[in-house]
Amino acid sequence: MAANIGILKRPVSTEGVWGWITTVDHKRIGILYGVSAFIFFLIGGIEALLMRVQLAQPESTFVDAGTFNALFTMHGTTMVFMVVMPAGAAFFNFLVPLMIGARDVAFPRLNALSYWLFIFGAILMNFSFFKAAFPDVGWFGYAPLTTSEYTLSSSTDYWVLGLQIMGIGTTAAGFNFVITILNMRAPGMTLMRMPLFPWMTLIVSFLIIFAFPPLTIALTLLLFDRFFGTNFFDTAGAGADPLLWQHLFWIFGHPEVYILILPAMGIVSDVLPTFSRKPLFGYTTVVFAGAVIAFLGFGVWAHHMFTTGLGAWATAAFAGATMAIGVPTGVKVFNWLATLWGGSIQFKTPLLFALGFISMFMLGGLSGVMHAAVPVDTQQQDTYFIVAHFHYVLFGGSIFGLTAGIYYWFPKMTGRMLSERIGKWHFWLMFIGFNATFMPMHILGVLGMPRRVYTYSIDQNWAGLNLFVSIGAFIIAISIALLIVNIVRSVRKGEVAGMNPWAGATLEWAIPSPPPHYNFAMIPTVRSQHPLWDEEANAVEPPPLPEHGEPHMPDPSYWPIVVAFGITMVAGGLLIWQATTWVGLFVIAVSGFIGIRGIYGWVFEPVAEESAERVHAHH
Amino acid sequence: MQYLSGIDDHRTSTGLDNRKMLMWAFLGSDVMFFGTLIGTHLIYRNRNLSGPQEEILSIPITTISTFVLLMSSLAMVLALAGIQRGNMGQFRFWTAIVCIFGSIFIGFQMFEFTEFAAHYGLTPRTNLFGSTFLVMTGFHGTHVAVGILWLWSILFASYKGKIHQGNSLQVEIAGLYWHFVDIVWIVIFGVVYLIGAYGAEGRALEDAHHAARAVGIG
Amino acid sequence: MATEHVHVEEHNHPGPRQYVIIGAILAVITLIEFGVFYLSIDPALMTWIILVLSSSKFLLVVGYFMHLKFDDVRFSGLFFAPFLIMVSIAVVLMALFFNLTR
Repeated sequence: MAANIGILKRPVSTEGVWGWITTVDHKRIGILYGVSAFIFFLIGGIEALLMRVQLAQPESTFVDAGTFNALFTMHGTTMVFMVVMPAGAAFFNFLVPLMIGARDVAFPRLNALSYWLFIFGAILMNFSFFKAAFPDVGWFGYAPLTTSEYTLSSSTDYWVLGLQIMGIGTTAAGFNFVITILNMRAPGMTLMRMPLFPWMTLIVSFLIIFAFPPLTIALTLLLFDRFFGTNFFDTAGAGADPLLWQHLFWIFGHPEVYILILPAMGIVSDVLPTFSRKPLFGYTTVVFAGAVIAFLGFGVWAHHMFTTGLGAWATAAFAGATMAIGVPTGVKVFNWLATLWGGSIQFKTPLLFALGFISMFMLGGLSGVMHAAVPVDTQQQDTYFIVAHFHYVLFGGSIFGLTAGIYYWFPKMTGRMLSERIGKWHFWLMFIGFNATFMPMHILGVLGMPRRVYTYSIDQNWAGLNLFVSIGAFIIAISIALLIVNIVRSVRKGEVAGMNPWAGATLEWAIPSPPPHYNFAMIPTVRSQHPLWDEEANAVEPPPLPEHGEPHMPDPSYWPIVVAFGITMVAGGLLIWQATTWVGLFVIAVSGFIGIRGIYGWVFEPVAEESAERVHAHH
Repeated sequence: MQYLSGIDDHRTSTGLDNRKMLMWAFLGSDVMFFGTLIGTHLIYRNRNLSGPQEEILSIPITTISTFVLLMSSLAMVLALAGIQRGNMGQFRFWTAIVCIFGSIFIGFQMFEFTEFAAHYGLTPRTNLFGSTFLVMTGFHGTHVAVGILWLWSILFASYKGKIHQGNSLQVEIAGLYWHFVDIVWIVIFGVVYLIGAYGAEGRALEDAHHAARAVGIG
Repeated sequence: MATEHVHVEEHNHPGPRQYVIIGAILAVITLIEFGVFYLSIDPALMTWIILVLSSSKFLLVVGYFMHLKFDDVRFSGLFFAPFLIMVSIAVVLMALFFNLTR
């Protein structure tokens, strides 16, 4: 590709593979995100199953200790950065412009760049498997243990660089959605008329652009330590503080938890009203509770570090702030329950998953408040109780919420319904399997089973519960297989959905399913929070295309993938540089040139047709 | 809900330009980048096991480079005022001044880094101070270099007619970036240089030494 | 790029004259900072003096050169919200690392 760069014309075709590679359409990018996240979900799930096979019996030799380290590292990293975040991004991309009445995001090419950086970064990190081994330092990569003094394997370099590149993409997406939601709303769509999902997307985007920089810096410092011999984490040789990494990582890491859960909260807040046929209870408080959670999220990072001995005052302050987050979260839960109260409830699959979300997330939230009590946390630190807690939040919360979103919006994305029958099987199997897997982990934790151990002996009396947990994990796997069956079946011969199969209230249901590439033939003017409920007469048929034909949309572009490729290969060059200096420098120089040339090409890229400028010149 | 034809697609919901808002959001995010770096530098103060630390910072020389960077910011607003009034000559002159002053600042920084290495043996590998100080100021220097490249590109594009009074917003956005780099330096100069080096042992002597060398009599 | 709107000059917008005055003030403050550095005073007092002087330089550049004083208040929000978060985090970090919380 590099050879063609000088003569790249702006592509016009949206057909075939090149159409997808050069796409800047937010719906296509959303689907790319969704499919990629699902593939990584399967990979991360297989890693989890391998761990559960190992732990099903005491003193098992199914995998060795080193492999087990790699498994839990890649399971965590994959699920956080390559599954839940991009799955959230899939929904942001596909739905936010539809829900706020826009034709695309504010910066369509930047949006494509975000996706390509995410997928290249993810591939780079997983590529370590072929080159060295999987990273095995935990998803949190605690330095100084990750410095080259203690971790020689270059797999850690792949981990650092892969995460860095995904982080750049995520941050770019964060900017894009902040601007999109603030600036691209349809006339009359005031902020306080926005559905909850765009609202939570806005809050998550702010969290991303303000919380990722500390991670980026922490990774950069670690990178410099590993590649150039700086001393940021050199405790023995230079007197560095072993807690520096933990602080920087959790200053990012706690807002990250809300980056993972708030999209699911947004989805559930939009699913519940549709299936109880009444507006969300306390709309304003749900919005502000989300904002308060996000804001407090920056002030609680040290509760991940209670056992490091922060001092009594600091510990008390962080414990108090952590408990305070329980308040806005509780407000949300009560609002959701009050939304259901007295509604004409239809138990469709999306609602089942939303209810699963509320109940399971609440359990995870409660055990979270337990950890805010420092003595309890000290007891439970690094035991399976913690594993149980965050899986109730991230699986019982995020994954259940995101699955509710899949069932709710699949008809909008594909134009076909998912099977309700398989969906209900999927829900109950996942619900049972989930609880069978993670509920006993609480008990194991209290019994003293530490996290991340690759085996245990028979006389520790953990064998029975561990076998139970492992069986639960396979029940989850079966439920996921049902989801795949459901999707494959429905894409081909599912019931045709029509514009608004659930009789939803928000703008995305006012256009055909799947939406045309320009979304809205004419931009709607919004007058209330529930445009399709409040003024039914207008909600029946979208207006025909205006006489002068389709709205002009931004043209596809090669540059996003070129720039993403350049950035990724600079990281690749660094990895090569470690083995063979001059080859590495050569690769860095060439790919740096490609990246910079790509940026210039991007900036001065013409529109393919002159008239396209008229309608959509915001990018 | 109502569908209206003839809605102006160019009007944003807030009435604010997308790109300008993107720049402000980016700067907000960049605050977190620099804040983390400066914070890391500060919490590692006086923890060095060996090697030089703040006493080697040259306040006279850095005051001059700070002055140069501040004046480049002044030049930047004058360039913007020029293009907004359609005075391309004023715009081009002051933009060139910004780039030149920025380059002088980079020159000062390269002089400082090489001095540290040559006279005090300070590299990023030497000690904590070397790591935090050089990576932090190096990160800032990289920002300055990107700004210079950006403004040269704008200057060049203006000769090709791609930058003109009608899209002076492009200059305004680049200017925001440039001023941001300037205020980061204001913080670093105050907190890291002046406060950091205040009262460090052997201070006055080193300064005199440096000042003398800077004017060519050392 | 048809959307660029020509900048509308507002009433109290500063012009080149004011910019030069601001630039001069910045230079003078920098000179004062330079002088303060060579005074033999209590380091805590010196720290506060420099913080005040640097902050005023910071606010002058942000307010006048970056136009925040005259621009939409939402831009100020986008910039100062993370600024306050970062300053708070840095202060807490320093308190933790300098053992002020025991």
